[in-house]
Amino acid sequence: MRFAARFFSRPTSLFGFVVFAVIVVIALAAPLLFAHGPMAIVGMPLLPPGSPGLAAGSDVIGRDMAAGLAYGARISLLIGIASTCCSVGIGVLLGAVAGYYGGLVDDLLMQITEFFQIIPSFMLAMVLVAFLQPSLSSTVIGITLITWPQVARVVRGQFLSLRSREFVEAARVLGMSDARIIFTQVLPNALPPIVVVSSMMVGYAILTESALSFLGLGDPDLLSWGTMIGSSRVAMWVAWWTTVLPGVCIMVTVLALNFIGDGLNDALNPRRGR
Amino acid sequence: MALLAIQDLTIALPPGADRPLAAEEVSLEVSPKEIVCIVGESGSGKSLTAHAVMGLLPGRVAATAGSILFDGTDLLREPPDVLRRRRGRDIAMIFQDPMAALNPVLTIGSQVTEQIRAHEDISEAAALKRAADLLAEMGLKDVATLLKAYPHQLSGGQRQRVMIAIALSLGPRLLIADEPTTALDVTTQAQILKLIRRLQAEREMSVLFITHDFGVVADMADKVVVMRHGRVVESGTTSRVLGEPAHSYTRALIAAVPKGDRYLPVPADSAPLVAVKNLTKRFRRGGVFSRAPQVTAVDGVSLTLRRGETLGVVGESGSGKSTLARCVIRLLDPDGGEVRLEEADIAHMKEKSLRPLRRRIQMVFQDPFSSLNPRETVADILIAGPKSFGEDVQEAKARASEMLRLVGLNPQTMHRFPHEFSGGQRQRIGLARALMLKPDVLIADEPVSALDVTVQAQVLKLLDEVRQQMNLAMLFITHDMRVAAEVCHRVMVMRQGKVVEEGLTRDIFTAPASDYTRALLAAIPGHGAL
Repeated sequence: MRFAARFFSRPTSLFGFVVFAVIVVIALAAPLLFAHGPMAIVGMPLLPPGSPGLAAGSDVIGRDMAAGLAYGARISLLIGIASTCCSVGIGVLLGAVAGYYGGLVDDLLMQITEFFQIIPSFMLAMVLVAFLQPSLSSTVIGITLITWPQVARVVRGQFLSLRSREFVEAARVLGMSDARIIFTQVLPNALPPIVVVSSMMVGYAILTESALSFLGLGDPDLLSWGTMIGSSRVAMWVAWWTTVLPGVCIMVTVLALNFIGDGLNDALNPRRGR
Repeated sequence: MALLAIQDLTIALPPGADRPLAAEEVSLEVSPKEIVCIVGESGSGKSLTAHAVMGLLPGRVAATAGSILFDGTDLLREPPDVLRRRRGRDIAMIFQDPMAALNPVLTIGSQVTEQIRAHEDISEAAALKRAADLLAEMGLKDVATLLKAYPHQLSGGQRQRVMIAIALSLGPRLLIADEPTTALDVTTQAQILKLIRRLQAEREMSVLFITHDFGVVADMADKVVVMRHGRVVESGTTSRVLGEPAHSYTRALIAAVPKGDRYLPVPADSAPLVAVKNLTKRFRRGGVFSRAPQVTAVDGVSLTLRRGETLGVVGESGSGKSTLARCVIRLLDPDGGEVRLEEADIAHMKEKSLRPLRRRIQMVFQDPFSSLNPRETVADILIAGPKSFGEDVQEAKARASEMLRLVGLNPQTMHRFPHEFSGGQRQRIGLARALMLKPDVLIADEPVSALDVTVQAQVLKLLDEVRQQMNLAMLFITHDMRVAAEVCHRVMVMRQGKVVEEGLTRDIFTAPASDYTRALLAAIPGHGAL
C-alpha cells in the first residue's frame, strides 16, 4: 500500500502508468474497434485524418491508419514484453549464478556477457533476424540476445553484495540448498533494480523492433508501428500523418515506460534510514 | 566562567521520525581545561547535541529553542559565515570513523595542510612544516613518509591520530570528540584515550567527549552528563556519578557494564563434543590468478568444546577469530586440520554429506540488521531451517512460537517483518532461528557488539540461560574481554591467527601467562575504576 502511494505520488509515474494502461486497453480492444483489420483497404490512399470513417486518415495504399496504430500496439507490446521476459529470464539466471558463486564461474560467465556487450548490438540483432528469416519469434530472439547482458550485469552486482550478508550465511547454516538460497533468500532482495531495468527494457525492445521493421526486417504478415513508418516513408512530405502518427505512438509508449521505470526506481528505493 | 554553556537546548526532528524531539531542554557546561563526557545509549540525543555545537545538524533537524554560549556568544544566533570561521579555529571535532572522515584520494600531508591554509595565509612549505610537527606531537613515527601516504595505507589508530592532528592544527580551545574510539581495537583505544588526555593537559583545552561506554567515562571525564531519550537525567563530577549515582537509569547503566569479576563455575569434565585440531585457513588476496601473497588467517588452531560449556575466543580485529568460527561451522572451507563433531570430521566433508550434520551446529550472527532477511516475516525466518530438513510446516510453526517465548518475545509478533523490531529483539530472533533445529553446538559471533550496554546485558543473560537449558556447547567470539568474562567458562586469546593462550576464565583474568593478554586486560577502559 505504501509502495503504491509512493509510486503514484510522482506526477510523471502517474502519467506514465495511465498512458501505458490506455495503450494496453487499445491494443487488447483492437479487434473490437476495427473489425476489418489493419491490412484491409478501406478507402482512397493518403486521406488526411478526420476524413469520414477514418479518424487517423489512410496510408499509401488506402488502409485505415487508426486500425494500423491499434493493431501495431499489439505487436509492439507483444514483442516488447516477450523479449523482456526472455532476456530477464536469461539475465537473472546467469547473473545470479555468477554473482552467487563468484570465482571461476563468475569469470567465465562475465567473459561471455562481455562478448555480447562488445558487439554493436543493433547490427547483431539485424544479422540474426535476417539469418533466421524475419518473423515475430526471430525478432524476439534477436532483441533478447542483445539485451540480456544488461540484466545479467545488474543481477550479478546485486548478488555479489547480497551474498556476503549474514542472512545468506544463516541460510547456509540452516542447511538450505544453493538453489533455494538463490531463489528464496537473495533474489527477492535483488528485485527492485531488476524491476526497474525490465520496465525500461520494454521501451528499448519496442524501439529496436520498430527500427528492425523500418528496415524491412519485421514479420511481413504483421503490421507494427515500425513497419508503418517504413512503408510510408516515401509519402512523408505529402502525407505527414502516415509517418508522424506511428512515430508519436512509439515515442509516447517508450516515454511512458521510462516514466514508470523512474517511478519504480524511486518507489522501490526510498532513502531508507535505519 | 564556562567556556561552553548549553542552556535549555531543544532540537526538533523532522516529522515522521520516531519521536518529535532529539534533545529536550538539554543544559550542560564545559569549563576551561575540563573534560566533560556525555554518556548515553543509541538514540539518547548525545551525538546531535554535540553536532549542534558545531552547527552541523543534518538537513531537516534544527535547534528550536535554547542557546549554546561559547565564550559568551550564542552560536545558534551567529551568522553562518562567522560560525564557519569558528569551526577548526575555536571549536574542532573528531568522529567515530576516521576512514570516512579522511578523503581517500588525497595524501595525509595535503589533508593536514588544507585545514591550516584554509584559515591562515601561509606558504605551502610552512604549512607542511607545521603538519609534520603536529603529526609528531600525535606520537606518530616516520612523519616524512606519513605525509606522502594515503589514508588506506594507515592503520585505524594512525588514521584517528591524523584526524586529531587536523582537528588541533589551529589550536582550538574546545575539542568535541564523538565516539572517537568506538571503531578501534581495545589496545588502540587505550592509546588514543591517553593521547587525548595528554593533549588536553598540554594544550590546556576543554574536551566534550561523547561515548556510550562507562569504562571510557571513568578513564577520561572530569564531569559526566548522562542522557536518555533526549533529556539529561543526571550530571555531576565523575567520582560522584560513578560512586553514588542518583538516578535509577544511571545505576542501571553502570550495573549493565560487564565488569569481568564474576566467573562461571568450571564445568564437569566430559568427552569433548567438538574437537578442532591444527585448523588452518589461508586467504589469497585478489583474484584466482593473483600472485599476491597468501594471508594465513587461522594458523594451526586447536580447541575442544564440551556440552554445557562456553569457550570464549577473544582477539582484536584481524586475529582470525571470526574466520575460525566460520571454518568450524563450514561457512568457509579450511585448508588444513580437522574439525571433529563427535566422530565425524566435517572439515573437508562435501557439502552434500555435510548437510544432515548442519542442524547440529548453529550460529548467531553479529549484525542484527543484516542477519535477518528483510523480506521475510519472523515466522518464515524461523521455519526456514526445519523446512529445509523436510519437517512438517505446522509442527515447525508451533515450535517457532515456543522458541520465541523462550527468547523472551511475544509469539503473536511472528507475522511481522524484521524492521519492526529493535536491535536487541532482532538478536533474539536470530537466536530463536538457531535454536529451531535443536542444535548441539551454538557459535555466537560477536552477538552483542552492535547492542547498547543494557540490551547487551540482557542478551548475554539470555544466551547463558539457553545454554544451560538446552545443554549447548557454545563457541563465543568476541573482541571484548569484559563480555568474555561474563559468559565464558574458558577463554582462548588469539592474535594474528595463532592461539596466544588458553585456560579457565578466572586464570586468564587473574594470572595471564602472556604479555599480550596482560596488555589486553590493561587496555580495558575503566580498568579497576568501575
